[in-house]
Amino acid sequence: MNSAAGLTPVSAGFGLRRALMRNRGALIAAAVLAILLFIVDWISAGPLTYFDVSFLSSGGATSALAAIGQTIVILSGGFDLSAGAVISLVNVVLASSMDPMAPGASIVLWTAVGIGVGMAVGAFNGFFIAVLRMQPIVVTLSTMFILQGVTLLVMDKPGGFVSPDLGTFYLGDAITGWLPMPLVVIGVVLLAWFWLKGTRFGTALYAVGSDPDSAAAVGINVVLVRFAVYVIAGGCYGLAGVFISAQTGSADPLVGNPLLLSMFAAVVVGGTRLGGGQGGPVGTVFGAYILMMVVNILLVLNVSAYYATIAEGTILVLAALAGSISHASVLAVQLRAARARLTAWRAGILPAQLERVDRRLKIAEQSHGQHRAASPRPAFHLRNAETLRYALPAYVCLLLIVVVTQVWLGRAILNPGYWNSLLVLSSFLVVLALGQGTVILTGGLDLSVPWTIGISGIILAGMVNGSDAALLYALPVVLVMACAIGFANGFGIAYLGISPIVMTLATNGILQGFALVYSQGTPAGFSSPMLRWFMTARLGVVTPIVLLMIVFVISAVLLLGRTPFGRRVYGIGNGLRAARLSGIGVERTLILVYMLSAVCAAVVGIMLTGFSGQASLGMGDDYLLPSIAVVVVGGALITGGRGHYLGMLGGVLLLTALQMLLAGTTLPYATRAILYGLVVLGAVMALRERRLQ
Amino acid sequence: MGIGSKVRRLALLAGMAACAFGISAAEAAGKHKIFLSMSYIGNDWQAEAANMVKAMAAHKSLADKVDLQVQVAGPNAQRQIQQINAMVQSGAEAIVVYPISPTALNQVVKNACDKGVKVFAYDAEITEPCAYNVHIDQLEAGRVTAEWLVKKLNGKGNIIAITGVPGTSVDDQRTKAAKEVFAKYPDIKIVGEAVGMWSQAVARTELSKILATRSWGDINGLWMQVGCFTANSMQLEAGKKASELLPCAGEGSNGGRIQMLPEGTKVEGAAPPYAPAGAQRISYASPPYSGALALKLAVEAIEGKDVPKTTILPLPVVTNETVKLCDEGTWAEMKAGCNAFKPSLVSNPGWFGSIFSDQTPEVGLNAALVGQPEN
Repeated sequence: MNSAAGLTPVSAGFGLRRALMRNRGALIAAAVLAILLFIVDWISAGPLTYFDVSFLSSGGATSALAAIGQTIVILSGGFDLSAGAVISLVNVVLASSMDPMAPGASIVLWTAVGIGVGMAVGAFNGFFIAVLRMQPIVVTLSTMFILQGVTLLVMDKPGGFVSPDLGTFYLGDAITGWLPMPLVVIGVVLLAWFWLKGTRFGTALYAVGSDPDSAAAVGINVVLVRFAVYVIAGGCYGLAGVFISAQTGSADPLVGNPLLLSMFAAVVVGGTRLGGGQGGPVGTVFGAYILMMVVNILLVLNVSAYYATIAEGTILVLAALAGSISHASVLAVQLRAARARLTAWRAGILPAQLERVDRRLKIAEQSHGQHRAASPRPAFHLRNAETLRYALPAYVCLLLIVVVTQVWLGRAILNPGYWNSLLVLSSFLVVLALGQGTVILTGGLDLSVPWTIGISGIILAGMVNGSDAALLYALPVVLVMACAIGFANGFGIAYLGISPIVMTLATNGILQGFALVYSQGTPAGFSSPMLRWFMTARLGVVTPIVLLMIVFVISAVLLLGRTPFGRRVYGIGNGLRAARLSGIGVERTLILVYMLSAVCAAVVGIMLTGFSGQASLGMGDDYLLPSIAVVVVGGALITGGRGHYLGMLGGVLLLTALQMLLAGTTLPYATRAILYGLVVLGAVMALRERRLQ
Repeated sequence: MGIGSKVRRLALLAGMAACAFGISAAEAAGKHKIFLSMSYIGNDWQAEAANMVKAMAAHKSLADKVDLQVQVAGPNAQRQIQQINAMVQSGAEAIVVYPISPTALNQVVKNACDKGVKVFAYDAEITEPCAYNVHIDQLEAGRVTAEWLVKKLNGKGNIIAITGVPGTSVDDQRTKAAKEVFAKYPDIKIVGEAVGMWSQAVARTELSKILATRSWGDINGLWMQVGCFTANSMQLEAGKKASELLPCAGEGSNGGRIQMLPEGTKVEGAAPPYAPAGAQRISYASPPYSGALALKLAVEAIEGKDVPKTTILPLPVVTNETVKLCDEGTWAEMKAGCNAFKPSLVSNPGWFGSIFSDQTPEVGLNAALVGQPEN
């Protein structure tokens, strides 16, 4: 061994460097965590004791375990929104089935129950995603609704009992005074992962995540790998649910839901790329602990309450930036490109500086003309076959829902009031769908929608304060502010190379902080009579906003289908590199896309203010997931490039009609949530991609 | 409010953001170190309660005794667990907490108690026995409001119920208690039920959905945890006269209180629908002063006074018979019986009006609005 090491110093050094490069994300996350720990230790009064470490380790364990599962799904190119709901479900299942009178509880048994529940849910997801080839985001979104309903059926309020034995085991010490048990649990899961990664399955997992078609071509059973991924991930969420049960000693049906977004942040901060193929769970564990450490940082720095989310957002962006510092990072590439442009400008060889001469070949134009003359335009349904196939199911389902409403509740089809309500209630998502839809078409996601809505409404209501005249300057101010928000998002994503999820999540937090500081916790002012009139008055049977919506929908269809901007958006979504090579200004287009999304959100904020008569904090919170759901239900592909605005419109009308139907019944909320999930799942079944012949 | 003040406010905002990271050097000797752990502050109630706690800490009777630090955990129980522990580690004598979950915090609260830290939960409950709880009786809230509605309807009619956040104890207790009352009257029918999330905006969306297949004429009364102000506004928009508004049992928002005043009452700053309409109402609330009271009790507990583990606050109930407009909203004035505030002072109708307690003379309207204590 000595001789071997001595003989090949170069290759050993090279191997080490390669290993470092490959695990850069995880290493940087570890370094950031170490720095945060150091800061806490340095500023806080006492030294960091074993007790602190032990407590920190248990604090982050639930999200770390769940995020490991999420990482595996993301590595395979998927996306899992049901993770938080699984944690809640396992929590209530354990707490409602343990017997408080029993002298002890079997740790192995209950852990197995928790993991089993998680895996069962994973198998459900996996079946629809892998076997039926449906989009992960819709399937898991539906699963999330269904599980939330089931969880409430098991336990409709916090309570229940989890044996203290579980807590003693999971929160105790593996080696007293040296090694806390939560770290051991995470370590065991990571070891299992390393074993799995080394097997054929592990290779297949990364292959499927990198390029499913190539993976299938080399003989990997893509369906099986995808199915297994969701089952394994479900097991991880299940274990996280067991851990939280042990930690809290009881159950709360809402405990898992808020973990979802921070889980994605943990994955990205840990260096895993959304879209698959790169990264790993080790970095994720560090990412999860970084996010939990933020709580302690805020405390030792005594950041006041209103600024907490601002500080958090800033830390998130900084952590993501730190993770992307390298020669190949987007920021570095952009800086090099800027330098090259500057050199070219000095030398006078920038394309813009060259003489503007038409250099096209004359022959090309002729043949183009001949081609056009030769073939007649195909029929409408042939030209738009693909769009129709993906957009129609939403409308068919809408029709079904309306018929069911008529039969069940009466007064729907022939009742103009019903249609007017449907359109007014849809109008918010109609607008959001354009913004979120365009972002999704480029392969991104805008999570800053809720507080862009919130802050727009609050600032508008405060400035307007019941005066129609004030609308004249308040509307431009709010829209310009939205442009600035969108610009910040787009700039961070396009030029700094921060992942859209992290960037917009951070922006959302920062906006929440600004809204709180601006309003001092109590949003002032109310909407003006004109704005209220638009949203609530009736011209005959039609509310004015409905007329505006018709104009909006036409403009949106033209914007995405008939303008260069729209074509660039589709181009970017279909392939970033191809788009760049065909001369699309990717950065500029991305910034415009996020600005469009922010402006749409601001318009919704304004509409909601008119609709409710006032603005309130958190008024946008209920619009994030629906804005994504309608886009995908309407036939768009979450990875970008495919989708038509009219399909999204169908998605909006379908989901709104469904909610109206459910609201008209007296079914309990749990049942409604389950029905809602099932209908979304059923609607999208029709959209699934057919097996390739 | 002119543009000038708005601009100033924005500038102030930028300035404050710059110094937000200043480290508190106020390790003042002799002061009790008390932490406030809030959950999600992105809604009106939480922010109002936080203002009142801050005002209480700034009142002259407590300012020399208390070093209060306010922290936010967000909606995530895991983080609140970690936050409370970090507070214990950094030497808290007492922790006032708005618990995200009544059960999830039990272990960490027990751990805090074992180290001699007093833990006070306000508004919602912590089930760990060593914790102090300050809240109203939610069952009573559900029962009293339902009984009022039944009486208004003479035991007969179709009603719509808008509930709170599903899966929380508070919503569960209120809704269950109300439904038990309704069940005793076979002629009372709940014809529509929706989740209102304790938000006026959500209440409006949900009511619109229900009314898409029904008309106001089919409904005789409303039981809402939050949303009567919105429901009344919607009826007025639909062309009803103020005298035809349906009886509504619901929350203590100031907009709702103003609507309860007899139609035609002169009120400064009122503009429809935030204006007197003689609406038939019972207005109740989880009072936002509970956090301030919890802080006061926490100081008493630290100083060795005997504080009961559970403080059940009297249910603040206002009906058309007892509603009365305040002039300035001082504590003394509220003590004399006023309970609604002019729109010129409180411009947000969704703002919660139940801020009076005879146990908290330190805080009045200014405390709830901007965090300034009474003199």
